[in-house]
Amino acid sequence: MNSLRVGLLLGWRQLQRANIWTTTLIVFVMMITFLNLIAVSGILVGLIAGAEKAVKAESIGDVIMTARDGEDYILSTPTIRDILENTPEVATYSIRYKGSGQIEANYTERRNLGAERDTAIVTVTGIDPQIENTMSQLKKNVVAGEYLNPDEEGYILLGALYTDEYASNYGDIFDTVSGVQPGDKVRLTVGTITKELTVKGIVQSKVDEVSLNTYLPEREFRRLFGRVDQNANQIVVRAKPGVSEDNLKSALLASGIGEWSKIQTYEEAKPKFITDIKNTMNLLGTFIGSIGIVVASITIFIIIFINALSRRQQIGILKGIGIDRRAIEIAYVFQASIYALLGSLLGALLIYGFLLSYFERNPIQFPFSDGILVAPPFETLIRFVVLFGVTIIAGFVPAWMIAIQNTLNAILGRR
Amino acid sequence: MNNSPIIIAKNIHRKFGTGELETHVLRGIDLEVYPGEFLAIMGKSGAGKSTFMYQISLLDTPSEGTINIAGNDVANLTEVEKTTFRLHTLGYVFQNYALVPDLSARENCMVPLLMRGLSRSEASAIAESALTSVGLDHRFDSLPAMLSGGEQQRVSIARAVAGSPTILFADEPTANLDSVSGQAVIDLLSDLHKKGQTIVMVTHEREYAEVADRIIQMEDGKIVTEEILNKK
Repeated sequence: MNSLRVGLLLGWRQLQRANIWTTTLIVFVMMITFLNLIAVSGILVGLIAGAEKAVKAESIGDVIMTARDGEDYILSTPTIRDILENTPEVATYSIRYKGSGQIEANYTERRNLGAERDTAIVTVTGIDPQIENTMSQLKKNVVAGEYLNPDEEGYILLGALYTDEYASNYGDIFDTVSGVQPGDKVRLTVGTITKELTVKGIVQSKVDEVSLNTYLPEREFRRLFGRVDQNANQIVVRAKPGVSEDNLKSALLASGIGEWSKIQTYEEAKPKFITDIKNTMNLLGTFIGSIGIVVASITIFIIIFINALSRRQQIGILKGIGIDRRAIEIAYVFQASIYALLGSLLGALLIYGFLLSYFERNPIQFPFSDGILVAPPFETLIRFVVLFGVTIIAGFVPAWMIAIQNTLNAILGRR
Repeated sequence: MNNSPIIIAKNIHRKFGTGELETHVLRGIDLEVYPGEFLAIMGKSGAGKSTFMYQISLLDTPSEGTINIAGNDVANLTEVEKTTFRLHTLGYVFQNYALVPDLSARENCMVPLLMRGLSRSEASAIAESALTSVGLDHRFDSLPAMLSGGEQQRVSIARAVAGSPTILFADEPTANLDSVSGQAVIDLLSDLHKKGQTIVMVTHEREYAEVADRIIQMEDGKIVTEEILNKK
């Protein structure tokens, strides 16, 4: 206890009398290290989190209903629609009909009947354009032309990755049609039925389920695909603010919808590889961050070592007049911990006070997602504890190395 | 003076290095110091006077011999035990003042007291009293860098006596001071001695040594003469 009191007094006074610029530089290094530790993994994880956020917003929603095992469609879809309308936890929902077909473009310019046709196999989704837009903001993804009008027929929205113009950025990996623009005519063939449609608009998003999709108004879809029973393939539901995915799912199960469909929260429905990639990114970020910790610990070691070495005689004298070695070690550990604490505090202020909201407003534009910064407080706390622990060790070791030296040699400056 | 010695050093040897490089600095010194005595150790440079003082003040460990201080056999104590013993029993005044530059004069005096377990207010009161006794009542909050050499040495003396040590060791306390400051320091030590403080001082200045009760002269690691001045 006495060692602690004396150690804290010595350490505090050393900090007070230290050169302000040196202290600022050390705290700055610690802040950068803390940022490196949090931000690198935060941005790597944020890449995936940004993609997840977009998938949740534009595709899956908070809860998704699909056909039960052994069924092709969601049963009693009209009844489910009525229930959803009357479930207080539901903010909005969209009923989707899914199928696949083949579109053909440029057929009017095809003079040689032996020449290859300009076709692509596509996913077709039947939607209520207005409701779907409320649910997934599909309209904002229209990059050319216009969004579907619920009252019109004979129009189709084409996913950008089904057109050469947009898909060429990714090489030759997508099945596309050439030079299709809004207003062009395309043929959609489903089984034996072919219908000529006008391209109303092109939709593009970083969510593949949007860019690799075509959209028809619900009635047109059902006619084309012969879906007279109104049973859908997918119903996506958005919860009201403050209602968790789990609570929404529970409410839907309680209403009996589970008898007709399989209900999954976003977390349950998202592909496992997303979680795996997130964990991998986190690991990668931690690894890169740990290099920063090593650098910071070496920096602190050198600073404390030089500090203690330059005060070797003073340390010897303190021991000479009866000051415990532990008090001297505590003085240096205290200094190191203050550096770590101040650096981390400033880093945390920067992250939670500025960077998180900045990246939320200005995501980093990656080809497959809008990267945000992810910094869960508990993980930040763990990383802080690691940084703090490493810094304390980095402060203790050099102090111990100097303090353990022979007292008289230290006093006389002898080796 | 009490008849029973407070320091008994017997056959003290101190060697440095090994083999051909071995240097025999102290060659079998026997010495007794009595409570309340002021002992001055003199000698030429290299005579071994400081080395001998380091042995009896527990800053070093003799290669051979025994040391008994205030009834304790101390020559073979561990480093930690020596540190504790020094804290509670001995006081030091070093040639280069040896103050902690980051601490004020008051705090420099308080540190050993806090280490002993005194409360902050108790330590502060004792430190102020010690500083007042050396004429520095206006310098409590001054950092060492703001003090003259003589003032720093007086702070060093205040720190040494603040804990009421059984023995006060002073290693050439006037070496870095001008004659006025040096005399002031010697006067302080003399006053302390008059109040009953046991003092062992190393000096190479005869004038200052003469305030002691006894002067021993060292040469080549041995005591060659012993002179009793104003022994009570």
